[in-house]
Amino acid sequence: MKLIKDKVAKLSFVALLMTVTAAMLYTPTASAHGEKSQAAFMRMRTIHWFDLNWSKDTVPVNETMTVSGKFHVFAGWPETVDKPESAFLNIGTPGPVFIRAGSWIGGKLVPRSVSLELGETYEFKVLLKARRPGDWHVHTMMNVEGGGPIIGPGKWTTITGSMKSFTDPITTLTGDTVDLEKYNLENTYFWHALWFGIGLAWMVYWMRKPMFVPRHIAVEAGKADSLISSTDKLVGMAFAVGTIAIVAMSMASTNAKYPVTTPLQAGLLRGMIPLEMPAQTINVKVEDATYRVPGRAMQMTLVITNNGDEPVRLAEFNTAGVRFLDPKVWEDETNYPDDMLAAEGLTVSDNSPLAPGEKRTVEVTASDAAWEVYRLADLIYDPDSRFAGLLFFANEAGKRQMVTVDAPLIPSFI
Amino acid sequence: MSASQSAVRSRAEAIKVSRTFDWMICFTLFFVVLGGYHIHYMLTGGDWDFWTDWKDRRLWVTVAPIVAITFPAAVQSQLWWRYRLPFGAVIAVLGLLLGEWINRYFNFWGWTYFPVNFCFPSQLIPGAILLDVILLLSNSMTLTAVVGGLAFGLIFYPGNWPVIAPLHVPVEYNGMVMTLADLQGYHYVRTGTPEYIRMVEKGTLRTFGKDVAPVSAFFSGFVSILIYFLWHFFGKWFGGTSFIKSI
Repeated sequence: MKLIKDKVAKLSFVALLMTVTAAMLYTPTASAHGEKSQAAFMRMRTIHWFDLNWSKDTVPVNETMTVSGKFHVFAGWPETVDKPESAFLNIGTPGPVFIRAGSWIGGKLVPRSVSLELGETYEFKVLLKARRPGDWHVHTMMNVEGGGPIIGPGKWTTITGSMKSFTDPITTLTGDTVDLEKYNLENTYFWHALWFGIGLAWMVYWMRKPMFVPRHIAVEAGKADSLISSTDKLVGMAFAVGTIAIVAMSMASTNAKYPVTTPLQAGLLRGMIPLEMPAQTINVKVEDATYRVPGRAMQMTLVITNNGDEPVRLAEFNTAGVRFLDPKVWEDETNYPDDMLAAEGLTVSDNSPLAPGEKRTVEVTASDAAWEVYRLADLIYDPDSRFAGLLFFANEAGKRQMVTVDAPLIPSFI
Repeated sequence: MSASQSAVRSRAEAIKVSRTFDWMICFTLFFVVLGGYHIHYMLTGGDWDFWTDWKDRRLWVTVAPIVAITFPAAVQSQLWWRYRLPFGAVIAVLGLLLGEWINRYFNFWGWTYFPVNFCFPSQLIPGAILLDVILLLSNSMTLTAVVGGLAFGLIFYPGNWPVIAPLHVPVEYNGMVMTLADLQGYHYVRTGTPEYIRMVEKGTLRTFGKDVAPVSAFFSGFVSILIYFLWHFFGKWFGGTSFIKSI
């Protein structure tokens, strides 16, 4: 019996070792930033990103690329999310694999938080400088105070080269050019090492003598005062005076070396200039909308009225960055991320040109696995089951017009 | 060997055992305090200590000493009143700084590649030395709280200035004035730390013009006095051994 027990124990130990070893050898790279875990209504009814462009797929260290496009701040912003009165145009990358060399909204540099208006559309651009080699998913991203990060579409980008060669030269207003990547590093190490050494010296002074047992006995015996000698007090005074002297002298020498310093810059940037959108001539009313769970398809009944002077056709439905296109009307030529592009995902019951002044009721179906992959189907579990998105209509010349839709969504489980 | 017999056979052996005990206690104390103090400081000082673009002349100066004086006060209460050892504040701060440097170097830089010149910890050792020396010289908790607590708050900003000042040199960047520290915060992308959560340069000290750091430091020193008292008593309560008597 004991032999069997020993064998079982031995084999169990071997199995455990093999499992641990296998786990150590198989360490896949984490690649997502959690955008899919974000509630569907957050992505569908807050910031709509469109016309996005990642300027490069591969970029060497020290070279730059841009992520640009437009975003629409949805007028039907959900009640459960704070309005974007304080928001920050961020970029969703796994840490500082790029540095953000610049970011602009409506042509205005936005290194700090901004105030955005509901219902407005803004143009944006983020300039990134490659820093750390690897394959990185680069997302558009808007942080909203009280709402959290609102992550937009992402695209894989490769950085080549070596991080050791990365530099970030900056010229100060005092005329010096510094490499921000390594600037002030030696000074930081020096001061921390110096003070750590002084602290250790203080410890060593007391630790070289017996500490706990004999001193505790003395304290308990009422002889605590005998434990501190006049030399101890002198050494203590020397440490205190030395500390104050070092601090005073280092502060004076620092002020002499850096006579011009300014406080950190902070404060909300207001007055972002929205994009001037053409006057809306197409009116869309959502009669009803259902999401068919087994078919991974959303069906809408739309009443479309063309009040313009040119015939138009429905080209695209865009929600949470997933684009459903009618290939007969529109093809993507922007190299948009494949997983978020349903190039043939939009079908319209009658998508013949809608003449000026014409009103038509159509059945629109947006179907693709992206509903599940991007967990937009989870919308049916949200506390406020509404969907929202952008419809793009195009005329014969390819000129587009954007119309927002926002309506309740009824799930269908059969 | 009966319970009444000594565990050691000579004075030399007793000294050796006592010293071994000293090192064991010091080692354990250092790492226990390191762990507890580090978690406490990360939760309460947090971003003010993590990033250079949070190290301003108002709130960092105010908050950091107030939340940092806690463990030094508690450890002092044990080491001084039980053993007359005046290094409670320094051992606590050395532990904190070692933990912080390990964290900043291996986690912030090693794992996530934030440069060390952007995420180094604040300097607390000058204040800790003053706190210990004042307790040594005064043998008074009240004086240590009042004089030491105030000194702890007052010396914090000048003690850090040699490392911070180079980062407060201004630059013109795409038509805006920023400090190099601001630029670090802007350049090194932090997806989970958007700019609006940065609590810097807020407050109502505008009547003091540009010289708000000394006012902030005085206020910090004043609150540090109160926190010192509180944590000194926490230390006494936590280090109590009355439970042994009840066994």
